[in-house]
Amino acid sequence: MADHWSFVLAAYGLALIVLAAYWRFLVRRERELSEGHQVLREGSGVSEQARRPSP
Amino acid sequence: MSSLLGGVTLAGLVAGLVLGFGIAPREATQGNVQRIMYLHVPSVWVAYLAFAVVLVASIVYLVRRAESADRLAHASAEVGVLFTGLTIATGSIWGKPTWGTWWTWDARLTTVSILFVMYLGYLLLRGMIEDRERGARFAAVLGIVAAFNIPLVHFSVYWWRTLHQPPSLMKPGPGTMPGVIVTALLVNFAAFTLLYAYFVTRRARVLRLEAEAEA
Repeated sequence: MADHWSFVLAAYGLALIVLAAYWRFLVRRERELSEGHQVLREGSGVSEQARRPSP
Repeated sequence: MSSLLGGVTLAGLVAGLVLGFGIAPREATQGNVQRIMYLHVPSVWVAYLAFAVVLVASIVYLVRRAESADRLAHASAEVGVLFTGLTIATGSIWGKPTWGTWWTWDARLTTVSILFVMYLGYLLLRGMIEDRERGARFAAVLGIVAAFNIPLVHFSVYWWRTLHQPPSLMKPGPGTMPGVIVTALLVNFAAFTLLYAYFVTRRARVLRLEAEAEA
């Protein structure tokens, strides 16, 4: 039987694209959310300081 | 922790590719197209594993109402759908040169498609219900019901006359495959299991961050 390398390449290529895209989605989403958290935390830190009475 | 798991997963995937393409021999009947097996079979294994985790996590959620169990079920279902999709696509690509068709309504292919649609519905259900607690409860029930399809998929090749071959590895009794092919397959099983753990860990973390951002 013929080897059909193009089919092998298509299967592995497709898997590579799908898995890499999902990994990229997870990494980007996590970074966005982590940065958002940091901004929120820093923001609340600023308002805490602003609320503190000056000596 | 996540980067360590990612590194080990990547090393496992590379080892799987080296074994599948460099060490395992060309199959006598099908030729090199049989090497799709090292991708197709571990993908369906991950799908089974993912949906079994959804089942257990859904039961835990319904009993204890632990949000971490709900996040695990959600993350695992998403990764399971991804790998079921890959199983169907790679099976179709493998089917064309060996069976002469991209698709046939054979028992195995039909049951795995139903599995895919059921868990796709599970994810859609989660997205449709705004009340988080209610959505988690409904999804947990669906996660338990849909899991009954897993044995149906696995045993379909025994229960009905199908074009799809019966399992070569996940079956009772002595194996019929040469040791080197079994080794290559087992390494890919391990690598894909690590990939599953890596994806689920990261997805569950994203879900936690999303919940915290909404609160």
